[in-house]
Amino acid sequence: MEEDIIKLLKIIKLSAQTILESGGEIYRAEETIKYICKAFNMKEVDSIATPTGIYITVSSDGTNNQTVIKRIKKRNIDLEKLNNVINISRQLTSHKISLDSAISSLEELQSVKETKDKFSIFYVGISAAFFTLMFGGTIFEFFIALLSGLIVSLITKSFENLDSYNFFSSIVSGAIIALFAILSTYLSNQGNYSNIIVGGIMPHLPGLSMTNAIRDTIRGDLISGLARATEALLIAASLAAGTGLIISISYALNLLS
Amino acid sequence: MILEIIFCFFATFFYCLIMNSPKKVIVFSSINASLGYFIYLLCVKSGNIKLGFFLGTFIIAFIGELFARYFKMPATIFIFPAIIPIVPGLGLYQTILAFVQNDIPLALEYGTQSILNIGAMAIAMAWVSLLALKIRFIPKAYFF
Repeated sequence: MEEDIIKLLKIIKLSAQTILESGGEIYRAEETIKYICKAFNMKEVDSIATPTGIYITVSSDGTNNQTVIKRIKKRNIDLEKLNNVINISRQLTSHKISLDSAISSLEELQSVKETKDKFSIFYVGISAAFFTLMFGGTIFEFFIALLSGLIVSLITKSFENLDSYNFFSSIVSGAIIALFAILSTYLSNQGNYSNIIVGGIMPHLPGLSMTNAIRDTIRGDLISGLARATEALLIAASLAAGTGLIISISYALNLLS
Repeated sequence: MILEIIFCFFATFFYCLIMNSPKKVIVFSSINASLGYFIYLLCVKSGNIKLGFFLGTFIIAFIGELFARYFKMPATIFIFPAIIPIVPGLGLYQTILAFVQNDIPLALEYGTQSILNIGAMAIAMAWVSLLALKIRFIPKAYFF
């Protein structure tokens, strides 16, 4: 029984951590903890999840409390991982898999750093290129956006281990996109740099933080709603700062009329 | 306009791949995005820009919740890649450009417009989230 509680704590810690690290909402993490504990007849369970950490207390008989705290440092977006955690927790609550196999599959999921997809560096470029076309770009602008997106994903890959990954990658991406757009249209004397910049910054906009900020606030998780709104504002502001820097330098050098 | 919707489909498709969403539902997220963008374009072409932001996001969030229930997956997977084409990236860019050109009144105008448009999107998403909380289509399904 005692060992079971320790295993259970490990499972709920891992699952909540993975949900928050791969871009899930706060209520999803808290409800997962609640449902797993309910399925294993815990008398009391309480959890506070924020985007930067989780506190969980579990009591099997109502007198002895077991607590775990987990600090969450890295937050990136991985919808496949999120879906897998939820599948595991669903199987666990319906007692289809044992505690041990749940721990091993959660740990395996946790250790997967990123997908092995070898084309993943191309996706940012292709997406940016299609956004450029969507805003009325030409074929020339399509290829410039493709190239700049490729360079952006190659360069921002080296920042991945920084704590303030979002901030730096947004500033650098904005700057690289603007640089490519302005230089290419200036040198080749064709095309419109606005389309390339708008299409290029679209994949870097903080859509998830925005969506989750609203969804969290509606459920009453005010702290995380505020935190995510701040994250979204910060990312948008750093994108704007990176782009604006390059545009104003180009104005100073008379590259733009 | 049909071309724009096709481009929107492919842009969202590759955006889903960036965000590593589950492979079997990427097409559905992209269809959702195209539908929302179609509604958005209809409203914008007839002159109602704010309504376009509101209705486009509303449709996307609503269909996203339906898909989430059908596939038993978190609604975020369907909603968040789909709203990306509507998010006012153009407004952000115009704001930066006006600030750089030292045209502060114009920059404030564009900036306020963008913030209000994002506000319209937020209201639409909040409405659908509230509806989804209150109406349970499948009683057995937990946490959506």
